[in-house]
Amino acid sequence: MSTYFDELAVRLRERGVPEETVTATVADLTAYLAESGGDPEEEFGPAADFAQQLGAAPASESAAESSTWRWTADIFVDERHLNEFGDQGWEVDRVDATGRFVSHRDEDNPQRWEYRREVIARKGRKALVEELAPDGWEPCGTWFFYEYFKRPKAASLGPEAQLGAPPRAPGKGVFLSRRFFLLVGFAAVCLVASLMLMINVSGGGAGFVVGLLAGAAGGALVALGSLWFQARRRDRSG
Amino acid sequence: MSADRRASWLKGVLDLLVLASLTEGENYGYEIAKSLAESGLGQIKGGTLYPVLNRLEEAGLVAAEFRVTERGPGRRYYRLTEQGRSTLAEQGDLWVAFDRSVRSVLAKGGIQ
Repeated sequence: MSTYFDELAVRLRERGVPEETVTATVADLTAYLAESGGDPEEEFGPAADFAQQLGAAPASESAAESSTWRWTADIFVDERHLNEFGDQGWEVDRVDATGRFVSHRDEDNPQRWEYRREVIARKGRKALVEELAPDGWEPCGTWFFYEYFKRPKAASLGPEAQLGAPPRAPGKGVFLSRRFFLLVGFAAVCLVASLMLMINVSGGGAGFVVGLLAGAAGGALVALGSLWFQARRRDRSG
Repeated sequence: MSADRRASWLKGVLDLLVLASLTEGENYGYEIAKSLAESGLGQIKGGTLYPVLNRLEEAGLVAAEFRVTERGPGRRYYRLTEQGRSTLAEQGDLWVAFDRSVRSVLAKGGIQ
């Protein structure tokens, strides 16, 4: 029995598992076997194979297996870019607190993915997930009122969904549309104009315009701030 | 054939079963395997269970703590994290929906 665990410890160390973890793992498995009885190889399988399943992969091996890429896009173009990069083998795992898509690609065996974005309506996220699950859609991230779903293209294309030589990850990680810049520009103009009017105009008929513009700009800022804090809170609780 | 089929079913749902078994409190490897076996799922080998526990820990769905015992070599105790709890709720619902679909199709074939 000790020969088995000696070999397991050696194999785990070879895979870069810290000494403290190796000791705890061997002790835990020894205790397991003391209760279950029987032969260690019969219970856990060959030591080399078991170590491979338990231990971290060697650095070179794990780097070759997959690569992670974080990127973001505004809501006017996010679905288009998701499908574009999905076709290049990028699978989204989640949306982080700053709204970036945390995605990875299996470099050895890249597959195409397709995506869709849905509004979380009154019936809630759970109902939405259940509604799309029969068609193979799996949730992969939430951003405020939006839920993102992914589906491997292998479901519809079969072996053709596998990519031969995918392109390198794009050099940039932010994709913003002209519509997004126009919206931001409009909000900025409203803010500046309202501030100028508040400073230069006192009372009179301009009060309504000032109030309108200040309200629009203030509302936009409050909404943006609120969305930001919600995202931060959701990320911390996740 | 029958054993292979059961093993295949279990492979697809073992992570959820482990998470579910931890909802009542922390537990260690052998007791987790034992409680699943007592639920009628058959004997689950350590070589099957531990890689699943390892993946769940790496994903942050369970947290593990090694404790030295007075007698014996010590054990690693696993407990469900908040992330594990929400993943269990979400993925468990999907499994139940899948199970309903399977039952529905089998019922059409006369299997109740």
